[in-house]
Amino acid sequence: MTTTLSKPLQAAPSQGRRTRASSETLGAWTLMAPYLVLLLIAGVVPIGYAIKTSLERSPTPLDPSSGFGGLDSFRTVVTDFRFVDTFLNIGAVLVVWLPIMMLGIVGLALLIHASPGRFGASMRFVYFIPGALAGIANFVLWVYLLNPSQSPIEWIWGVLGVDTVKQAVATPGHLPFVLAAMMFFQGVGSWIVVVNGGLNSIADETLEAAAIDGANAWQLAWHIKLPIIRPWIGYAALMNLAYGFQLFLEPQLLDQVSSNALPDQWTPTQLGYAFAFSNYNFPAAAAMSLILLVITLGIGMLIVFRSGLFGDEER
Amino acid sequence: MNLGRLARVVTMLFVASFFVFPIIGFIAMAFRDADQVAAGQGGWLGLGGVSLDNVSHSWSQVNGFGPSGGLFVQWMQNSIIVSVGGALLAILAAIPAGYAMARLRFRFRRALLMITLITMVMPNTVLVIPLFLEVNAVNAIGELWPVVVIMGFFPFGVYLSYIHFMTSMPGELVEAARLDGLNEVSIFARIAVPISKQACVLVAFFAFVANWTNFFLPLALLSSNQQNKTVSIGLQELIGASPLFNPTVAAGLDVKLYMPQLALATVIGMLPLLAVFLGAQRYLIRGETVGAVKG
Repeated sequence: MTTTLSKPLQAAPSQGRRTRASSETLGAWTLMAPYLVLLLIAGVVPIGYAIKTSLERSPTPLDPSSGFGGLDSFRTVVTDFRFVDTFLNIGAVLVVWLPIMMLGIVGLALLIHASPGRFGASMRFVYFIPGALAGIANFVLWVYLLNPSQSPIEWIWGVLGVDTVKQAVATPGHLPFVLAAMMFFQGVGSWIVVVNGGLNSIADETLEAAAIDGANAWQLAWHIKLPIIRPWIGYAALMNLAYGFQLFLEPQLLDQVSSNALPDQWTPTQLGYAFAFSNYNFPAAAAMSLILLVITLGIGMLIVFRSGLFGDEER
Repeated sequence: MNLGRLARVVTMLFVASFFVFPIIGFIAMAFRDADQVAAGQGGWLGLGGVSLDNVSHSWSQVNGFGPSGGLFVQWMQNSIIVSVGGALLAILAAIPAGYAMARLRFRFRRALLMITLITMVMPNTVLVIPLFLEVNAVNAIGELWPVVVIMGFFPFGVYLSYIHFMTSMPGELVEAARLDGLNEVSIFARIAVPISKQACVLVAFFAFVANWTNFFLPLALLSSNQQNKTVSIGLQELIGASPLFNPTVAAGLDVKLYMPQLALATVIGMLPLLAVFLGAQRYLIRGETVGAVKG
């Protein structure tokens, strides 16, 4: 596999170069080869194949052929009665979750940075622990928290008048808040570590100079630290925004533990999953995933080219 | 202690309690008895009702799950195979690629670096359906090896390796080795590889954690084969077989999976993460500023 890939690539640079440069090129492509093979298998080929699949016609019992269907599958997806709703649902989650998340990340990172020594470091570690319980583990933990009959936060459910898991998640308007809480619990710690890394890069002299000028802890945080870590804050916001678009596990499994009281396809990823695994409409599933790919690709490019965090190493 | 400082410490401890108590209560749940949990006994966070007898009973239930039992252990093994295999593949690909992008000049180098960065920051779930279509086209749905290969593609690892060689290997070193007549691949093998331990550990750690907790990829590729599930999607099957959430399915089973059993399975399913975290801790602290963990 390695050789088939590197051969055409080696031939690419112009032939008039000096031998040193061409041996450097040859060496570079040889060292890149394993990664490029994986990039092809797990990135380029599936995207290409998804584009091809999305342009096919989905076979039906009446017409089992699956020839070229043009943009039909995209039409199927976009006009699906659930399509717009799934994005509105994501929007509702993001409206609740992103501000809390950003406030939590920045606020706690600043508090930790203002607490040098053992206390700050141990708090940072404590906030990080739930991040280790990522994905399904965090979900099972939340099943325990969401079940009023055995939850340690039973009093909250008591105040809300909630008696069962089903009521906790399926009462209209609850779901965005429940998801926001789950994602905050799981995600805030690792982002605190990242933003804290940004804060640690501020030179001591800068902070000392401001302190000599009479700035108190609050002014120091607001006027000095926050502006300096802006790139990290932007990075965190955009990464979490992109993360919102891939929501799947939590709504899918919350539905499972609440006797199917939730809509089965609540997020775009769930809808794409249903096209593939419930309807076996692969062209529509491919089209849906391409739509999500374009959105997250846009956010990804924004992060890489606009956040100011990447590319510094490149002089 | 002045008022501002007191407020800061109190706030931080208050927030910490929201993280710590649920986790203590959840771990305690793995040591409790289902009847006592249902009756609301056990005291504060259930800590009064914990015992090892409960654990051994719960384990017999978890381990008894499946047509002939032992399915959970099989899922753990599968998770180890795909997570370790994927991490090894990620190291093999990321270390040379990161080195080449950091220290060698070649056409499309910058473009490849940008592609790596963009794929690194995108949520990897967006590609799962296309990957499913690809694996389906080669008739390998339900098999472990495609999952290993796909997990081997780990652009964050390439970025870590790139940063590592950018910061810890001076360009002059490469230049000097060339003057000594070494070719590019030997320079990598003899000079770069011996100083890459830090990068290898970081790539291995982040890849292992990402692979172990990956849910959507195994769900799409392995759900159809119960024997080949990983523990993350296996836990979902256990939830679906619990009398708490699905009395009809649970009624047909010999084992009863209430909250203590589900908590025990989850805690066991996370122990490998704890192990690699403790193993890599020393290196993580040094590499802390390198960047983010991918979501």
